Amino acid sequence: METKSRVNRVQLTALLLPGLLIFAVFTVYPIFRLLCMSFCDWNFGSMLSQPFIGLANYQDVFSDDIFWVVFVNSIVYTLVTVPAQMALGLMVAVLLSGIKRFSVSFRVMNYLPVITSWVIASLVFRYIFNTEGLLNYCLSRLTGAANVRWLDTRWSGLSVAMILGAWKGVGWNMVVFLAALQQVPADLYEAAEMDGCGSWKRFWNVTLPSIKGTILFALIMLTIGGFNVFTSIKMITGGKPAHQTDTLLTWMYYKAFSTGNFGYSAALSFIMALCLGLMAIAQFRAMKNRDA
Amino acid sequence: MKKMLSILLALCLMTGVSLAESAQPVTITFWHHYSAQSAENETLMNVLIPQFESENPGIKVNAVSHEWAELHDKVLVSASSQSLPDVARCDIAWLPEFEKMGILVALDEAMGNFADVSATLLDSAMSTAKIGDHYYGLALNTNSKIMFYQTAMLEAAGVAVPQTMDEWVEAVRKLSGTNTNGQQVWGWNEPALSGWNICPFIWSFGGSLTDEAQTVATGYINSAATVKAIETFAQLYKDGALTGFNSGDIPMTDGFGTGRYAMMLEGPWKTAELEGAYPDTAYGTAPIPAGEGGSVSVLGGEDIAMFTTANQDAAWKFMEFMTGEYAETEMAKCGQIPVNKAALESDVVKGAAYAPFIEAIQSAKARPTVAAWSEMDNELNMALTAVVNGEKTAQESMDALAVTFDELLKK
Repeated sequence: METKSRVNRVQLTALLLPGLLIFAVFTVYPIFRLLCMSFCDWNFGSMLSQPFIGLANYQDVFSDDIFWVVFVNSIVYTLVTVPAQMALGLMVAVLLSGIKRFSVSFRVMNYLPVITSWVIASLVFRYIFNTEGLLNYCLSRLTGAANVRWLDTRWSGLSVAMILGAWKGVGWNMVVFLAALQQVPADLYEAAEMDGCGSWKRFWNVTLPSIKGTILFALIMLTIGGFNVFTSIKMITGGKPAHQTDTLLTWMYYKAFSTGNFGYSAALSFIMALCLGLMAIAQFRAMKNRDA
Repeated sequence: MKKMLSILLALCLMTGVSLAESAQPVTITFWHHYSAQSAENETLMNVLIPQFESENPGIKVNAVSHEWAELHDKVLVSASSQSLPDVARCDIAWLPEFEKMGILVALDEAMGNFADVSATLLDSAMSTAKIGDHYYGLALNTNSKIMFYQTAMLEAAGVAVPQTMDEWVEAVRKLSGTNTNGQQVWGWNEPALSGWNICPFIWSFGGSLTDEAQTVATGYINSAATVKAIETFAQLYKDGALTGFNSGDIPMTDGFGTGRYAMMLEGPWKTAELEGAYPDTAYGTAPIPAGEGGSVSVLGGEDIAMFTTANQDAAWKFMEFMTGEYAETEMAKCGQIPVNKAALESDVVKGAAYAPFIEAIQSAKARPTVAAWSEMDNELNMALTAVVNGEKTAQESMDALAVTFDELLKK
């Protein structure tokens, strides 16, 4: 018996080892190196020696005006796109779960934006919102007004990226919520109906509490996704004018690969990871409290 | 079976060893960013390197092609792993950065005949390789920007090709407005607000970015002449006469080709681009209009540099060859503007499509050759954006920029 379990253990280790090794080499080690990098003067000018400079990179980040601009941009982007796509996704899911015919076609239609490439969708949005783009063409034909410079100011430029983000996210939310809605026991609805609940009350008191776990999951995933927005910003405004529409990731990329300040970017990435971690904890807590 | 394998392995090792031993000639590695499919690469591989190897028996050249941006990063990574090539073709903007890393050879110290070799090359181009008191490369090829104008638009507006900055301002204003389709048109297009774009104006207006020694910016970047250049630029933008640097604007080539932009400042590559995309658009070229500082364009191009880990004698021979009259003339046939004075006199160059650019190069200036240039360029871009958007006056913005530049120059 004992030998058998030992064999099992050896077998287990042997099977786990490749996976653990890959994880250690390609995930844990790079994160550890990145942490070291964030405490060192790691830039193009000092490739051959990276002196330890303590928290100077973190200080640089916090005393940088542009960091606060891009940080606020990322927060606004997340605060707008996450609730928008969750609400729309849930709405579509509820509507779809109620229909019998054409449900597959509607699902496909709503899911299409998700499988569209970010780059292509971003380029299309750019063409729509260009100063000489489709939207301005229609507007000026209808109203005779002058072209609006949608992409050239901070908030209007960001708004275009936010519309794209919400549009692209609805499908994913729909699929996640559809799956959750199918798990809600039908007898709960029947009981609620017998108690005289209308459809709105049933949604509020039965559906929502039953899919709370899924809502939390979606919320955390989308918050991380919101902070990770990169392609659309890079393609639509490129951070213009003067980094006013940059977000955390595009700014991090710019600092590392265009100015060579890898230490700064490493520090920024840890600040961002910390923020995301704290937010996830807060979101968990908030959901738990509502349970009690 | 195991025996077989071990014998095989031993055999492999032995052949490897004997191969290494029989490799008598010195092999130097040359990294460049002529694209793999280009005419330049053809010439390099099939004409220049065979010629060099026959002139220098005992030296073999292993040329490796990289993408432009990839080459820059590859050098940085290789520097930390001590696996640099012997020689590389570098964008002139990279040299200060590489020099600061301590991976470039100061050629004027290391090479006895440096002065003779550098005398055969254009001074303005060689200035891109000078960092501090030493030269860290040889100029290899060059480019610059000149003014492109839409012939039909100028004729329709009754505007002559501007020769001076005053005429330029007036022309840009006159050419702006709406066309017969009711679409907005602009007299001038400038696709960005970085040093590459704004320096020609600052210099031609008589301004500058730093002192000659490139150690201080206060009194230069915020001098009256520099501020006037930027004010003029910003005012033209506010008047709707100049555009191109916003994310929502029409791309440069399309705007020029379709008659929405009347004039622009561009490099030799634009000729081929316009030929391909808008072959029917008639245009002319002229030097950048002259101001208080003359007609001064901005210098682009590449240098050839040697790394500290190189086989110096062989590497230097190759660098001399690549910047010599023969190689420069051959490369000129593929559209590379030579910097070798003798090659510049050849019929190949005089008859080339880029001939108008050569005049501009003689008087063009290089952007500051300092390691912090990319950071300075970013600060300049932000300062200019604040001015054109009306958040700050040109004087305020340049005063603040001068302080930032001074700090960056000290680094």
